[in-house]
Amino acid sequence: MSIWAILSGIEGNLIAYEAVLADIKRQTPKVTELFILGDLINANPASPKVIERIRQPRTGELVPQVCKGWWEEQLLILHGYVQPIEPNPLIEKYGVGTAKQLWDNIPRETVPWISELHFGFMELDCFLTHGSSINVLEELTPKSSPLQLFDRVTRTQARRLFCGRSGQTFRYQIKDGSVTSTVITLDGVQPTQNAEAAEHYIIGVGNVGRNSNQPTYALYSPETDKLRFQSVRYAISRGFS
Amino acid sequence: MKIAVMSCIHGNYEALETVLRDIEYQKAEKIYCLGDLVGYGPFPSNVVEMIRSLDIPTVQGCWDEDIVEGLNSCECSYPSVLAERRGKFVHEWTNQHIHDETREYLAELPKTLLDGNLAFVHGSPQSQHEYLLPELNGFIALERVLSTGADILFCGHTHVPYVRSLDRGQLQVRVTTGVETLNAESRSFNADLKRIVNVGSVGEPRHGRPNATYVIYDTDSDQVTIREVEYDYQKTCAAIIERGLPAIFAWRLAKGMEYAERADDASHLCERGI
Repeated sequence: MSIWAILSGIEGNLIAYEAVLADIKRQTPKVTELFILGDLINANPASPKVIERIRQPRTGELVPQVCKGWWEEQLLILHGYVQPIEPNPLIEKYGVGTAKQLWDNIPRETVPWISELHFGFMELDCFLTHGSSINVLEELTPKSSPLQLFDRVTRTQARRLFCGRSGQTFRYQIKDGSVTSTVITLDGVQPTQNAEAAEHYIIGVGNVGRNSNQPTYALYSPETDKLRFQSVRYAISRGFS
Repeated sequence: MKIAVMSCIHGNYEALETVLRDIEYQKAEKIYCLGDLVGYGPFPSNVVEMIRSLDIPTVQGCWDEDIVEGLNSCECSYPSVLAERRGKFVHEWTNQHIHDETREYLAELPKTLLDGNLAFVHGSPQSQHEYLLPELNGFIALERVLSTGADILFCGHTHVPYVRSLDRGQLQVRVTTGVETLNAESRSFNADLKRIVNVGSVGEPRHGRPNATYVIYDTDSDQVTIREVEYDYQKTCAAIIERGLPAIFAWRLAKGMEYAERADDASHLCERGI
């Protein structure tokens, strides 16, 4: 049986990531796939260690499938790999100082690897990405418009959309719905049509590194459609005083 | 009050003049233009000059954007390599034949215009390149209108006019949040009547006839009327040939067709990706 561990938002927090990996290792049934939905890094100087840890898993560990997130996109904008956005989202949210830290703290030789990260993954009837099916910057939350959420999942032709941008854990089920449509063309009135919405899901997978000492991530079985969210507690060792 | 909305003039000055006379005859008090002023047709700068002189609020179309950005005009929908080659030729021709101030004007055009409960875009609120076809999933169509905050979304890009009413839209959702303690909530979403109005094309119609199309929206009666206007399309056809554009486009205009080429090239791939 396949069990997916899906996480996002490590944000340079190596200790949190190690705690999650340890938690994943303890799961039964065994986790068979590991997805990291972006934001491996942020501007802090520990971020390169997270990249190294992800690129070189230890013997016996799952090889993670990684897609790019908001922070990776900001790095690529800084280095001219993607079109700039006006106003610059990084500077707008965090200021010029943080942009400089991102530039200084992520080694240039890492940038090509980041530029080749996937936008998302299509697995069975699931689409997994950082932001939404439109771009990495869009944030989907339980408060998003239901039609917007429906659009984002159906445009991938998946039934389930896993995302990490919001950092929240949630399962948004579109149960059913209907809308009546009438079209008038140059040829006259066309027959009225009723569209019905089939069941779809948008799932927020939580965040590993942002909230101190409490990473969250998702465990999902595509065969049984069972989803649960994990919260991991860990202590930061302070050594001897 | 009557509002006239037109789109996709594509350098067809003869069609534009005729449509403007018809708009005056219909006693419309406001006019909006949904872009694609240039491309395919023989008089791109003249069209832009007319729109500017009348101060018609205009949004940027996909062809306008391509000319400004210097991009390939491929719409990811050419049926063959031959069609794509002709499209590239026309893009280059247009590039060489427009004035600098025309390019500057096109660069400044907004992507969206709003007027009360009305929204105006070229393709869709998300992209100048997205086609809002009448058979688009009803919920997706409703999302496109609601994303503008408007009740009526006017669009072009497809070159075939229609009026689509979306009514009694409702969704039932269930939201579960939390980690160890789960909170579940059922919610209901309802939408009032919304409409998408595709205004067709003035200069390059694709509904099977060469006549120009546009719409009149009456704000008092809340009625939308699709107007089909005959004009001297032969004059435009002659100009296409005289000015060095591919003669096949004159033939296509006379037929009111989308493509002159047969889609028989299975190996064709769009440069912008599928």
